[in-house]
Amino acid sequence: MALDMESIRADFPILSRKVAGGKDLVYLDNAATTQKPQSVIDAMTHYYEQSNANVHRAVHTLAAEATEQYENSRDTLAAWFGTTRDNFIFTSGTTEAINLVAWGWARSNLNAGDAIVITEMEHHADIVPWQLLAEEKGIEIRVVPIDTERDILDMEIFSASLPGARLVCVVHTSNVLGVANPVADIISKSHDAGAKVLIDAAQAAPHHQIDFTGMGADFVAISGHKMCGPTGIGCLLATTESIEEMEPFMSGGDMIETVTMEKSTFATGPQKFEAGTPKIAEAIGFAAAAEYLANFDMEELHAHIRGLAMYVASELQSVPGITVYGDHSVSEGSGVVSFLHDTVHAEDLARFMDAGGFAMRTGHHCAQPLLDAYGVTSTNRVSFYLYNTMEEAQAFVEHLRTIVEKFG
Amino acid sequence: MTWPDALQEAIDLFADVFDPMERYEMLFEWAADVNELPVEEWNDANMIHGCQSQAHVECHLEEGAFYMRGGADAQIVQGLMAITCLAVNGRPPEEVVELEPTFVDEMGLKASLTPSRSNGFLNMFKRVQDEARLLMEGS
Repeated sequence: MALDMESIRADFPILSRKVAGGKDLVYLDNAATTQKPQSVIDAMTHYYEQSNANVHRAVHTLAAEATEQYENSRDTLAAWFGTTRDNFIFTSGTTEAINLVAWGWARSNLNAGDAIVITEMEHHADIVPWQLLAEEKGIEIRVVPIDTERDILDMEIFSASLPGARLVCVVHTSNVLGVANPVADIISKSHDAGAKVLIDAAQAAPHHQIDFTGMGADFVAISGHKMCGPTGIGCLLATTESIEEMEPFMSGGDMIETVTMEKSTFATGPQKFEAGTPKIAEAIGFAAAAEYLANFDMEELHAHIRGLAMYVASELQSVPGITVYGDHSVSEGSGVVSFLHDTVHAEDLARFMDAGGFAMRTGHHCAQPLLDAYGVTSTNRVSFYLYNTMEEAQAFVEHLRTIVEKFG
Repeated sequence: MTWPDALQEAIDLFADVFDPMERYEMLFEWAADVNELPVEEWNDANMIHGCQSQAHVECHLEEGAFYMRGGADAQIVQGLMAITCLAVNGRPPEEVVELEPTFVDEMGLKASLTPSRSNGFLNMFKRVQDEARLLMEGS
């Protein structure tokens, strides 16, 4: 059954606003953050209007409601991601989730001389924490390069990097190329070599149903705001064994069992890693986002989004001077198309597109090593999501052609 | 604030245009009018950090008056540099450090002023004022 685009777009109030002197907004920066449906906005507003209180503390009515809604959100999200509340830790997003693995697990479980494998395709959030940890602990970082001819990781070098590795950190889907990595193969080979696996699923979770248990990774990091949820909330999914091996990364209230002036003991399980008053409204909004997406068949959504990206990638190939990065002929991946014109600067192009009502991204996309591999310092990037239409994709290509013809 | 005649003319020209596309087109064309810092003179020392584009600026005094030259690979950024030249060049550095970059707002280019890590214009304007401050101290 075809998606009812009119109905979907009506769910997102921001899509009806005008920009750039009265032009329709065409929002194509979804890999940076997605727009929020009314149900997410309403869930957060309702919490603040009716139930706002701190959780896990007082016995009054509002505190009970807030706690119930917050903990129900954990259950909803854990189920959505194919796991249970015991394997679900709320974080501020993917970046904090990765840092939690770095400082909560790796810092106390890895020693000087141990190796961590990362890839050239990683977002800075999955590079910098490892560099800092490596400096502190004397850990070796092995980098798997990307084959820029085929836009995929060099799996031979990946396999050769595994002996002696204790942790493998790989992005599920590139935020620059939209390319999905062979995650099942990566997890299987890494486990065979005795390494744990952390998957950065920031760009995958909005497009695919993440099944943590079935996937078999030890850690999966996810952001809420890239899948219709609010900013400032995400999660780390972690196996029970990994959680038991982790030490607190941040400490304070809500994560303790007892505190005396001499010593503290900690809560067990995920709560041990959720110090302080949590992001209650954001957690409720995140769960509302998962409930919103549950109205759809994710495979159908993905096919729609990929259809738009493949159309734009194909059309851009015929625009003189444009280079498209990434292989868009495959059905996996996300709705990202990165490209560059050989004479119209990426920033100029983005501003001209903005003046036409088109919101797109420009820059290094927090993946400088990946752009270095392709020999560029920035790209233009459009990224589609469920509410984008073929008419928008066509209008984008048309406006871009006009600009390139005029200024190229 | 009273602007130099050449800048006021530019402000009036831009203020008459309501289509943001057209304003960017004008800036694109204005890029050619910058007091140009040739690419051969671009180096790490005169690079403006925090821009999405490569942008460079060189500032000096001529008989006590402040002058800047600039260059960028993004034409719209270089266009903003050209406008900034109209605002600052020929003024005493003491006045340059006190300037508010509101002329961009008056030109309807407020979007270019939005605070952001990658905002080329604000980083450039701050750099020009820092250079003016250094020249004041050195003179």
